[in-house]
Amino acid sequence: MSAAETRSGSTEEKSDKWLDAYRDPVASLYTFTQCITLADIQADGDWKLIIADLGTGMFNMKLKVYKGTNLMSENTIIDLPTGVVTFYMDLNEPRTPAIAVASGPYIYIYKNLRPYFKFTLPQIEVNAVEEDLWNQMKESSLNVYVLREMLEGMRADGTPLTVRSLRFLQLQDGADMVAFAEMYKNTPLKKQTVITCLGTMKKSMAEEDAISCLIIGTESKCIYVLDPEAFTVLATMPLPIVPVFLSVTGMFDVEYRIVASCRNGCIYTLKRGTTDTEKSFIELNSQPVGLERIGKTIYVGCMDETLQCFTSKGKKLWTVQVPASITTIEVLDYKTKGFKAVLVALSNCEVHLYKEKYLVDIIKTDSVVTGMRFGRFGREEGALIMTTRGGGLIIKILKRNVVFEERDLTGGPPAAQNVKLNIPKKTKLFVDQTMRERENAVAMHRTFQRDLYLLRLRAAREYAKALDKSMNPISSDPTEPLKLAAQVQGIGPVFKMTVNLQNTSLSQASVNLLITFDFDDKLYNFKKTYIPVPMLVPGLNYAFETFIECLSDKGVSDNVKVYVLKEGKNIPIITGVISMPVSETLVVV
Amino acid sequence: MGLFDGLARWLGIKKKEANVLVVGLDNSGKTTIINHFKSEEYKNHDIVPTIGFQVEKFKTKSLSFTAFDMSGQGRYRDLWQAYYRECHGVIFVIDSSDKLRIVVAKDELDALLKHPEVQRKRIPILFFANKMDLRDAVSSVKCSQLMELENIRDKAWHICASNAITGDGLDEGIQWLTDQLKDVLVKK
Repeated sequence: MSAAETRSGSTEEKSDKWLDAYRDPVASLYTFTQCITLADIQADGDWKLIIADLGTGMFNMKLKVYKGTNLMSENTIIDLPTGVVTFYMDLNEPRTPAIAVASGPYIYIYKNLRPYFKFTLPQIEVNAVEEDLWNQMKESSLNVYVLREMLEGMRADGTPLTVRSLRFLQLQDGADMVAFAEMYKNTPLKKQTVITCLGTMKKSMAEEDAISCLIIGTESKCIYVLDPEAFTVLATMPLPIVPVFLSVTGMFDVEYRIVASCRNGCIYTLKRGTTDTEKSFIELNSQPVGLERIGKTIYVGCMDETLQCFTSKGKKLWTVQVPASITTIEVLDYKTKGFKAVLVALSNCEVHLYKEKYLVDIIKTDSVVTGMRFGRFGREEGALIMTTRGGGLIIKILKRNVVFEERDLTGGPPAAQNVKLNIPKKTKLFVDQTMRERENAVAMHRTFQRDLYLLRLRAAREYAKALDKSMNPISSDPTEPLKLAAQVQGIGPVFKMTVNLQNTSLSQASVNLLITFDFDDKLYNFKKTYIPVPMLVPGLNYAFETFIECLSDKGVSDNVKVYVLKEGKNIPIITGVISMPVSETLVVV
Repeated sequence: MGLFDGLARWLGIKKKEANVLVVGLDNSGKTTIINHFKSEEYKNHDIVPTIGFQVEKFKTKSLSFTAFDMSGQGRYRDLWQAYYRECHGVIFVIDSSDKLRIVVAKDELDALLKHPEVQRKRIPILFFANKMDLRDAVSSVKCSQLMELENIRDKAWHICASNAITGDGLDEGIQWLTDQLKDVLVKK
């Protein structure tokens, strides 16, 4: 399908940052980020796209090389590919890199698009008991059912078994088991590991086309470093768990750092000369789906819909919540502009571009992107290769004069938060006080506690006294539940006092009550000093009034007490204390 | 214009001069095309990627051309616009075998056409769909479709398939440009 046809069929709106170079929704590619790479494999300045296609997942695995939009070559791969990298393995001119395809326990090396070498990972020692069992089988001294039972027991104990034993355990039918055992019992038992991830590392020079080592992560919880010329294992680094993603920097002979994210959701860092991986690791709260590194920061896409960023020392810098689950992540390194960011492909058919923690661009696609690679393709510097879940291939080119807004408008603390407050310097007094407090902390606390107790005691005493003398405006006598509120109106010398009484009981009426006042008769003259109170119906508010004349013109005032009494009792039921306002002098006109 | 100049031109000794800007993506064949028009003694035998730009002169039957051979590399493309003012015509070279980057060429062409210096002038644009000899090259018709040349309404344009190494199609294109430029220069 040509570019023109696909482009006209495209429904997405035009982006101001990306050019749609190619779109083939039916390229029938089944691949992932680890199996896509870009390299100048013919040393002609025209970079090719190399894709290891997983075919159907069972058959038809192919190594495909695209020149521009045309398929240039196809090589069949025997087993499922788990990673593709290109690397320079010699110093021959022209400088053509080799392609390494990881598949099962093997690394297939292609040079000039032809199979060149097959490297097999070192074998793992077979469990002695398991080997013994198969040997007995060979000598026909063992029944297949016994063998099965024994192997099952070993598996239940957590012993890692060989592929042959595992396959044997899968068989259900007795005849099949016998046939299987007959077929394989004479071949020696071998145990091989499987490659999980693949990377490259420069050996001793930092140049673009310097010789590189292959870094291989395996199912046997090991990372191997392969010498590119002799294909020998230069270093073996054990890990506590199976690695799934690798990020490698540095040079093998100088200093390097391998960051591996593992199946237990931890990220381990391996350095030159360190063997202790347990010490420095990052524990994620979710499984990683992608690991990338920009400079000294590690970006991890997690299954809990977050993009997390760590320093190389393992300190978490930030976490960004993304709107959908992440399928893969990839670094966008646009060298001509010195722009580095992280592309995050999401399951809602979008690819988000994060510059640090800020979302700077969104690419919409018509299918979920499962594989991405950004880099030089053909003669174009900023090409983004995307493969989709439906098998499509999309190529976009970053516009030459693109500008990304480095910060988005939403999010982040307000600017005012960063303004420094003008805090005055500490005075000598403050310092002395602080010193004193520090030295005498215990004594001060004790004094404070003693005073607090005294205060509480006093409060309790006063309360008891008030209860005793019914000095409070709400009755404490359960037989006469009353509420008193008194107020004084006027500016003087004559005031009006209103006493409000309310029976707060639910059903019981109050009878035989009277109101009287306690005052200084040199200062005040009450018109009524005795008010008989009628029966108080529960809930209603009764108001009683009297006039008070202030006798002094010297501007003094006093407290006046209101007593509510019951006939035949000498202790008041309730008491209200009213502080009288200062009287205005009588103006005689 | 002096009397002597007019006389010389009438006699065919001195020709009219035209400035043309040669643009296009890197590796599209701009320098090779210019090289083809140069006289035998000045021809280059190995063409290297142009840095910045080069000024070349060549003559056809009726016109004397000054060609500004611009570098097509990404980092030099911003230089193009500095020469829009002086040019009478534009030669835009497209690598017709690089299907992937035709969209980039289109983007650069759009930027060129949108530039105010180009917009206000009447300048003919000649497109060379170069490298037509290559196996995966697209035809000139397809090329003009991909570049959406039919949307150019206010400029005279022409596209011809070419092979800069053998020189096929180049003379046809330059002939069209010469005719156009004569019109432009006469009207000035």
